[in-house]
Amino acid sequence: MTELPPYPPIEPSNFDLIIVGTGLPESILAAAASAIGKSVLHLDPNPFYGSHFASLPPDDLSSFLDPHPSSPDHAAPSEGDGLASAIINLRSLYSDVEISSFAPETLEQHSRKFNLDLAGPRVLFCADKAIDAILRSGANQYVEFKSIDASLFYDKDGNLVNVPDSRAAIFKDKSLSLVEKNVLMRFFKLVQQHFSGDGESDRISEEDLASPFFEFLAKMRLPEKIKSVILYAISMADYDQGDKEACKVVISTKDGIERLALYHSSVGRFPNAVGALIYPIYGLGELAQAFCRRAAVKGCIYVLRMPVIALHMDKECGQYRGVRLGSGQDIFSHKLVLEPSFTVQSSIGSQPQNSLMENVQVKAKVARGICILTSSLRPDVSNFLIVYPPRSLYPEQVTSVRVLQIGGNLAVCPSGMFVLYLSALCDEASWGKKILHRAINALINHDDSKISEGTPPSTVQTEDARADPLLLWRALYIQELTAGQVESVSSTPMPDGSLGFNDALDATVKLFQTIYPHEEFFPETPAEDPEDDGALSVET
Amino acid sequence: MATSGNKNINAKLVLLGDVGAGKSSLVLRFVKGQFVEFQESTIGAAFFSQTLAVNDATVKFEIWDTAGQERYHSLAPMYYRGAAAAIIVYDMTNLASFERAKKWVQELQAQGNPNMVMALAGNKADLLDARKVTAEEAQTYAQEHGLFFMETSAKTATNVNDIFYEIAKRLPRVQPAPNPSGMVLMDRPAERTAAASCCS
Repeated sequence: MTELPPYPPIEPSNFDLIIVGTGLPESILAAAASAIGKSVLHLDPNPFYGSHFASLPPDDLSSFLDPHPSSPDHAAPSEGDGLASAIINLRSLYSDVEISSFAPETLEQHSRKFNLDLAGPRVLFCADKAIDAILRSGANQYVEFKSIDASLFYDKDGNLVNVPDSRAAIFKDKSLSLVEKNVLMRFFKLVQQHFSGDGESDRISEEDLASPFFEFLAKMRLPEKIKSVILYAISMADYDQGDKEACKVVISTKDGIERLALYHSSVGRFPNAVGALIYPIYGLGELAQAFCRRAAVKGCIYVLRMPVIALHMDKECGQYRGVRLGSGQDIFSHKLVLEPSFTVQSSIGSQPQNSLMENVQVKAKVARGICILTSSLRPDVSNFLIVYPPRSLYPEQVTSVRVLQIGGNLAVCPSGMFVLYLSALCDEASWGKKILHRAINALINHDDSKISEGTPPSTVQTEDARADPLLLWRALYIQELTAGQVESVSSTPMPDGSLGFNDALDATVKLFQTIYPHEEFFPETPAEDPEDDGALSVET
Repeated sequence: MATSGNKNINAKLVLLGDVGAGKSSLVLRFVKGQFVEFQESTIGAAFFSQTLAVNDATVKFEIWDTAGQERYHSLAPMYYRGAAAAIIVYDMTNLASFERAKKWVQELQAQGNPNMVMALAGNKADLLDARKVTAEEAQTYAQEHGLFFMETSAKTATNVNDIFYEIAKRLPRVQPAPNPSGMVLMDRPAERTAAASCCS
């Protein structure tokens, strides 16, 4: 619908809160603010929901990663009424973007059936804080989930083994000896008692909690292999915990057992979920859409394709007052939240809240990869996670690689195809890319030269190679990682390097509490009030 | 999506149309038998369900309203996903809203499932004197684009039940390849009480 008449002006022109960007943190914030009766205007310059948490067809994903240079030559807003203006700039979070298509026609034909996650690989732990927000907000009405069928670990002998992540899994595991099983069971019980036990004797000592998890596991005399599984496939550590020099983030015992407990309380939380992890049908982008719909139901106004070109700042105190939209309209609000790719250039000078926004320090990076495959990497399962711990692929590999395969039965791609997501933390783009390449090579027998000459994939496939997945499309990119800012103009967190949503949720709740210190984050509504949502019969 | 089993059909139905065409009024009339003269723009209501018995089946409609997200043309793909039926509503006293309805049909044909049952509703049929869109014109358009057409009035209830009934009759009894379905997350009652007691 390109030739629509122009937008009617947005009414009213004053809001409690303006949010720019529809990523998951922004969308949760919009729903939470709307739920406590705040008037919210939620804008996005893009024609789709989700910002950095969107799920997109290949072409849209490519152009989002590699944006056209933005044109900041909008006429500067006239300054009057004691207001000065600050120019707002778009900064890409992505670099070193490499897109390769080996079967453009096949992809073109099915383009609309793809929902590729920008922030992958990412799943929900059943006990993730994001699940609580989904349930408390009512967003659970709009999204359906499926289980991740298997969680695998690449051991040092080069085998992919199931992660013994629960009592049942330990019991069934054929790769563990009876002694190993007992040790692991005992350790899981120890952690469980720490969280549920009453007596002081059940708790792990403060001294141990503060010590590195790696050392605590050693102290507990866990065998090497089990240590590795707990560190990298359950606690999802990124850096080599055994290498003090290369390890930039040391997981403390406290963090380690919390992650273990998150994993354990995820198993069995929902009767239909087979393991700890679930994934939304149609991709992660559905989560942001569901929260936006909740926000809309509570009165939040939605305008996609609407850029903000400048901010209005009070000349006297430098405080934020309002925004100028791409349409030329001025809208005012008490608070403004921006998604992390916006920076503010102030003409007023050195007001702290502005200078903070400009000094965005790039600390770490995450290398992400997406591959579209013609068949599953494993014959028996279509949705699974693989963890390659540090140094499992090659000696200089200092961070874990997590790989998630999602199949057509989750509606992220045409049925029969599969999408592979990979990620690894890195300091430099070249390292990150190398780790991903090595992981892809370990997983897929891919010969670039065969396909890139324009041969349709079907003719490349020989009888013997029928089960070998072919690579149809691949994207590799580096995303920066910086924390969100909390000031009079706040910015939301960008997708982090972790597998779940806990940290993003923590940051979002914190942001909400900074903006509305006296309000509850998704207050509990009177349970099962049939009029709550205007519904006559509540779905159960 | 429409799933059948023992002739019990669950069908997601979406409403589309210009702001003020009367989408919510149609649903309120159908679901609650109510009409409000000056219905506010849709806030607070987004999800209704209503069951209809037709000759050979019981159809449970899960009706999605736009929640106002259509105002600046910002409906999410989620809205269309798995919809088995759609009612495109225009105000027959307003030519622009009819033109807008045609755009929504295009959008639906691009985004929605190809087997979707689509109805075109010329609403506010009680305001005969103010008519700007003739029934013939709308009927011709509907026929050409694979919709069925009715003029409705949420105010007098004219044709309101009929349009839902007609959709129920037209829904395919066996859905060829249903959309993938997964689990809906629900808080277990035990957890709810536990959470309530520890927070209070």
